[in-house]
Amino acid sequence: MRSMSGLVTGFLFSAVTVFAISFASLNTKLSGTVVAGMLWVALLFSAASSLPRTFLAEEEMGTADLLRLVARPHAVFWGKALFNIFQCVVTSTLLSILYLGFTSAAVPIPWLFGLSLFAGCVSLAGAVTLCGAIAAQAANRAMLAAAIAVPLLLPLVAIGVGGMRTSLGDGALSSGGSASAIGLIGYAVATLATGPYIFAAVWKT
Amino acid sequence: MKTILKAIFALLMGVATVWSYKVPDIAQFQAPGFARIFLWHFPCPMLFTFLLLSASWFSIRIFQRITLKPFAFGPETNAEAKAKWDIRAVACMELSYIYALLTMATGVLFSEIQWGAWWSWDPRQTSFLIVLLIYAAYFALRFAYVDPAKKAAHSAAYGLLALLPTLFLEFKFPRLPQIEQLSLHPTDSILAGKIKGEYAQCVILILVLFAIMTVYLYNLRVRAGFAEIELEKYYGNLETNGSDPTPTGVVRPVSLSE
Repeated sequence: MRSMSGLVTGFLFSAVTVFAISFASLNTKLSGTVVAGMLWVALLFSAASSLPRTFLAEEEMGTADLLRLVARPHAVFWGKALFNIFQCVVTSTLLSILYLGFTSAAVPIPWLFGLSLFAGCVSLAGAVTLCGAIAAQAANRAMLAAAIAVPLLLPLVAIGVGGMRTSLGDGALSSGGSASAIGLIGYAVATLATGPYIFAAVWKT
Repeated sequence: MKTILKAIFALLMGVATVWSYKVPDIAQFQAPGFARIFLWHFPCPMLFTFLLLSASWFSIRIFQRITLKPFAFGPETNAEAKAKWDIRAVACMELSYIYALLTMATGVLFSEIQWGAWWSWDPRQTSFLIVLLIYAAYFALRFAYVDPAKKAAHSAAYGLLALLPTLFLEFKFPRLPQIEQLSLHPTDSILAGKIKGEYAQCVILILVLFAIMTVYLYNLRVRAGFAEIELEKYYGNLETNGSDPTPTGVVRPVSLSE
């Protein structure tokens, strides 16, 4: 937050991805499933590359030890996770508006689109925050954080695509769309409920 | 005694191998004779899951004194005890990864013969590939840390974090209604009682034999790990002569000009 670099980097990365995807599919009418899949891939890599910065920056600037001394682990986790959720929601909202504009995709069920996006962002931010903390003290921390976060988030992407494709008109709400939204909320709750405990275990090691 | 037990095990493994070739073919498969690879395929994911759960339990034991109070069953008081839980956890992880690779290898072979392609993006195959990637990241994380305490704590945290997505990918994802209809892989063979008779008996024998082999390999790995800890302790004691490294009582005066 101090330098706003995460927000700027995340948004720039996502915007470039959106332009690249839109350019690659020039003059092609994309189905809801393809639009949802592309959007989630962009979100995944944007989150995996920018969100772990919250912990990596603390280690690089040498302020992590001070945090360890003065703050309780749960407070540190919630501070970082809430900031990452905010960053992810802002980036994803701007990215989605851009993407839908470029691809001219219609959104027949906007509430499901919004719910999938928001719950997905919370889940992404929770899991990536933890991955950032786990990788923060390693030698090649930036690459490692992304390498351990991406496979963990692939199931989330699968659920997210399921919900978003329904909101974009591919598939009925009853045949998996609402179940995907519930799955995303469940993933978010599970990550944020167990996160502080797992984080506290590694933070002072 | 141990040699006799090993001989009995080898004999039973031979019997299981021959039996797996003798069980009757299942007619509904494209290549009925080859369907018997199921007998060797099925025990692998079962043991993979069991070892993964065991590794998670050992990971909780590494952490129990730090935060997880609801799981605190008995205090571990020193770094050595935690290192031993870490060795148990990593032994389970290594063995489980071997079983995951065997699951994938037998599955891919089955896919080529029965479905006509080595890789057909079947949801069950794909979800298991993601599981393989998740645990490859676990080993990448272990390689990234040099300090044993950090290696143990951070990899245990990742192991616990990865458990929920893994169980989802292994058990829930392939059974989602919209996914199940896309998959060629059967999902209810066991629960619906479709595996019966000689097939069931043979698969149970192979599962038991694999389980015995797993326990044996796990013990070997853990003993090797414990021996490593003892060796490090021994060399540490040699360096310090088994006592405080700072000698007491004798101080050589050094002048400032030196």
